[in-house]
Amino acid sequence: MQGDWKKEWQPMVDSVGQDFSNKGEEVVWGADEVEKGGIRRFLEPLEFDCALHYDEEVAQKHGYNDIIAPYSSILTWSIPPLWEPGKTVFTSEEKHSQPTESPLTGLKIDKAPSTTGYIVTDIEFEYFQPIVVGDRICKVGNVLLSCLPKETKIGKGAFMTWESKFLNQKDDLIAIVRMQTYSYNPYPVGNQEETGQKEAAN
Amino acid sequence: MSMINNQLYWEDVTEGDKVPSVEFPLSIYRLVVEAGANRDFNSIHHNSEYARMTGAPEMYANNVFLQGMWEKTVREFIGLEGKFKSLKGFRIKTFNTAGDTVVTKGTVKKKWQENGENLIEMEVWSENSKGVSVGPGSVVAVLPSKEQLEKTTSK
Repeated sequence: MQGDWKKEWQPMVDSVGQDFSNKGEEVVWGADEVEKGGIRRFLEPLEFDCALHYDEEVAQKHGYNDIIAPYSSILTWSIPPLWEPGKTVFTSEEKHSQPTESPLTGLKIDKAPSTTGYIVTDIEFEYFQPIVVGDRICKVGNVLLSCLPKETKIGKGAFMTWESKFLNQKDDLIAIVRMQTYSYNPYPVGNQEETGQKEAAN
Repeated sequence: MSMINNQLYWEDVTEGDKVPSVEFPLSIYRLVVEAGANRDFNSIHHNSEYARMTGAPEMYANNVFLQGMWEKTVREFIGLEGKFKSLKGFRIKTFNTAGDTVVTKGTVKKKWQENGENLIEMEVWSENSKGVSVGPGSVVAVLPSKEQLEKTTSK
């Protein structure tokens, strides 16, 4: 039944062109307003010593109203909270247990087969204006541009490319992103070869 | 004082110029700090055992971290006046795992002027001990020009 699993992806293949965020009406806001401390923490692991991201005077000298966030932090500022008051997400002491819900597991789509693995393989950004301290970022739209079921060295699943827009609280367009993801069911441990993320598919 | 003190002007760029490399040694410590910083708490990026259960050889750097490496590399090259226009071909080819070092590299592929902007396109990629791990992709940036600077200062 080698080919049967691919048939499960056919509804997604047939949905190419569809906006899975309810025709763009659904807006997903990042958890927090962009603030200096968050930007500072973003710079830390990168050892990214760029004064535009920590010195208000320098940022203003270069034409910005305030400190700007790195372009590469757009996704970070658009991630919804992991936990909110009234919710319980940590329910197991099993050391590898995952939160009962996570903003990082990708869209839950009824048409798509159930998968447990999820990685981002390709990203494309068009930048329109930088994020400034005080902005709040949201993601609008989730248009499926392509869906390719594929068995790889790490499992069976599908590569899907999605397009979204990022806006700030004033509806200014910050960026458009096209992101390819691989949603898959991993092979049992021991059956895998050491391999790359994208290369696993090639 | 910021480490980025030199400003690159469009007139000073020649196609073929190298974008200076930056090294990013990946320890578990650094990946954990990164997860907290960019809020990608997927266990594959900070838990070796969990990462192996998903088919990876080891915990590995997430895409936002890898994007940040390109941004730092390009920013150090273009200076504070430069602005990013686009990122394309950012393709993660192999896992960038704890215990390895990612080295970013790049070259200027093209320079041109369009709609009053002075643009350069850089081919950028990341390498680790197994070869090219991300890209090659392209980053397009807007640079200031000496001509515009002279016009501004002579007014």
